[in-house]
Amino acid sequence: MNRFVPAALGLFLAAGAGAAPAELEKALPFIADDYAKALAEARAQKLPLFIEAWAPW
Amino acid sequence: MRAFVFTDAALTSKAGQFVWLELNVDDERNAAHRERLSLEALPTFYVLNPADESVVVRRVDGMSVGEMVAFLEEARVAAAGLAPSSPLEAALVKADRLNGEGRKAEAAAAYREALDQAPAGWPPYGRAVVALLFLHQTQGENARCLALAREARPRLSGAPQSVMAARSGLDCALGLPKDDPTRAAAIAEMEAATRKTLASPGTGAAADDVSSSHLSLVQARKDAGDAAGAKADAEAWASFLEAQAKAAATPEQRAVFDSHRLSAYLELKQPERAIPMLQESERDLPGDYNPPARLAVVYFETKQLDEALAASNRALPKVAGPRRIQVLQRRSDIFAARGDAAAAREALEQALAHAESLPAGQRSERQIQALKKRLETPAKPAS
Repeated sequence: MNRFVPAALGLFLAAGAGAAPAELEKALPFIADDYAKALAEARAQKLPLFIEAWAPW
Repeated sequence: MRAFVFTDAALTSKAGQFVWLELNVDDERNAAHRERLSLEALPTFYVLNPADESVVVRRVDGMSVGEMVAFLEEARVAAAGLAPSSPLEAALVKADRLNGEGRKAEAAAAYREALDQAPAGWPPYGRAVVALLFLHQTQGENARCLALAREARPRLSGAPQSVMAARSGLDCALGLPKDDPTRAAAIAEMEAATRKTLASPGTGAAADDVSSSHLSLVQARKDAGDAAGAKADAEAWASFLEAQAKAAATPEQRAVFDSHRLSAYLELKQPERAIPMLQESERDLPGDYNPPARLAVVYFETKQLDEALAASNRALPKVAGPRRIQVLQRRSDIFAARGDAAAAREALEQALAHAESLPAGQRSERQIQALKKRLETPAKPAS
């Protein structure tokens, strides 16, 4: 859910940024919370790096 | 987004075109990235050039599957670094780059330049409007935001972005100074536009986008002093969300709507309606702090303080990062309502200590000051 939720002081009640659990079956091979690994892979594969910034609320 | 869009098979064809990274910005390990990426709102999506880590394009706000597919295709082309084929494309590339660098005023000017050149049917029109509306809103430029919403609405008719454009227009009209002689007419115009988008189910807008429009309508009615109208809109909002939750295919998809549903129930002064849904979410998603944290809110609001404290006890061990502060603040409220001033103060002190311990990128000086102020009057629960 979103409503341009301010990231620094996000509204606890009025909005959330996504479902929390990590076990969702994704259609895309996301790397979780490892920027260095993702960047290294992007450089090695010469592919752009897509980042989803989210929070479990 | 996470429960609906990234689980959609329509995106599998994009898998090999990017390296995919998800960053939980509440995770302390990601604080530096959060700061470097100039994160302002959630969700935000970035595409980076891995060679120099520059942001090629940034998109704030959720997207439907179709919007995400279009975004990825544009981002792929932009990341390839090919020379723009026209002044219009050059203006958009420049705008995206400046936006990615957080140079808001310059980015806004570049998006404006692109939009001024955009012919009818220009595919990136909608997302360029969304980007510029967001820039205006985050800079408090309500009049410009309103003007852009007015300008863009006819061209976005029937498109997913029409929902956001009308709602942003309404939000920005509500943000105009109260003594602005054009304010009332602007609110009426954008409220009608927002209602029109909600009556047009074929836009393909994401459910959370639609939900946000319901909330804006509630706020517009409250602004007008129309309590009955606000209640009717809040009920419509709750009904919409309940239908979405009922249609969800997984517990994760259903729980996505919990936060907005709770907000709608609170608007209706019926927080108890949230209890079954939150109990279901807590049962289905045992690792998630959100259901018990929200139950603590509901039980506090309904003055079931033993249950509120028990829910807080369950939430606290599961929550880290900036969100822990809010859980501790609510815990302080619960203790205060139970008449335990010492425990209420201790919870606030824990919240302050935690807030001060957060790394740059997660640390908020404004929040720290607010907590210090609350500690001066710990017996008064937050509203």
